[in-house]
Amino acid sequence: MSDHHTAFDARPDAELGAALRAALEPGDAAAFTARVLGQLAGVRTPAWEVLAGWAGRGITAAAVAALVIGLLTGRAPSPAASWDDVVAPTLETDGSLRSTALLAAEQPPEPGALFASLVE
Amino acid sequence: MAGDPQPPGEDARIRGEDASQLVSRAQSGDRVAFGILVERYAAQARRVAWAVLGDPDDADDAAQDAFLAALTKLDRYDPQRPFGPWLMRIVANAATDRRRRRTVRRTEQLDPGLTAGGPRPDADAERSALGERLRAGLAQLTPRRRLAVVLFDVEGYTHREIGEILGIPEGSVRSEVFHARRRLRELLADWKEER
Repeated sequence: MSDHHTAFDARPDAELGAALRAALEPGDAAAFTARVLGQLAGVRTPAWEVLAGWAGRGITAAAVAALVIGLLTGRAPSPAASWDDVVAPTLETDGSLRSTALLAAEQPPEPGALFASLVE
Repeated sequence: MAGDPQPPGEDARIRGEDASQLVSRAQSGDRVAFGILVERYAAQARRVAWAVLGDPDDADDAAQDAFLAALTKLDRYDPQRPFGPWLMRIVANAATDRRRRRTVRRTEQLDPGLTAGGPRPDADAERSALGERLRAGLAQLTPRRRLAVVLFDVEGYTHREIGEILGIPEGSVRSEVFHARRRLRELLADWKEER
């Protein structure tokens, strides 16, 4: 646009720039600024995002901790009722199928024998 | 504006601070400082968004989205780098997203009278006619080309900064500015001949 400028020129073209600026000049600046500033109140700031992030991580950590504690508590040996204590009375009735033998066996028990031991 | 009110003297002092100081305050949660940044960059953001969207109302919506996005992303801003290009990248992205979502592309449908001469306007309306002609000329360019020429010739950013804003190499910016200028100058030369 300016006579001394070429399209290759590395400097801004002041005349073209001024014409474009006038063509793109937005309206009421104060109204726009007021509108944006009015919206700021509803925006969560980065500080809030950090707190929210911590809260999220805290909830996750608490859930994991609860799961781990639950697993540890559930797997802990109980003197009142062990797995063997629960299973043994039923399987010991005919003397042929003990719970320890059942759990240690490489082959599954004969279904007929197991059923018979249960119904007797 | 949200945030604690500032004493008048303090407010005036903050207004005198440069962008990096204001951003530092804003990063600490000072909404007044962010408000001053909004005032300072509003016109530029609206022009850049207008260059992408071709419509002043859509541009204002996009610029507003960009300022709100900038506030939420402020913790990711590197204070060692200039604030303007960082903000303009957010503005350009917000405007581009809005442009993609827009179903009716009103400004893409150019008035043939604007590009092919058309009736000669009144002398009083020449300035307005030039603006119309330039906006129509911009609408003929790709969005990236529009942005490049506006950021360079209107807003004064360097080729390197524009490359960062648009996410393209500096050489591509030079090419985009070159092609945009050539097209706009052709258009303006025609307009001058008609005078």
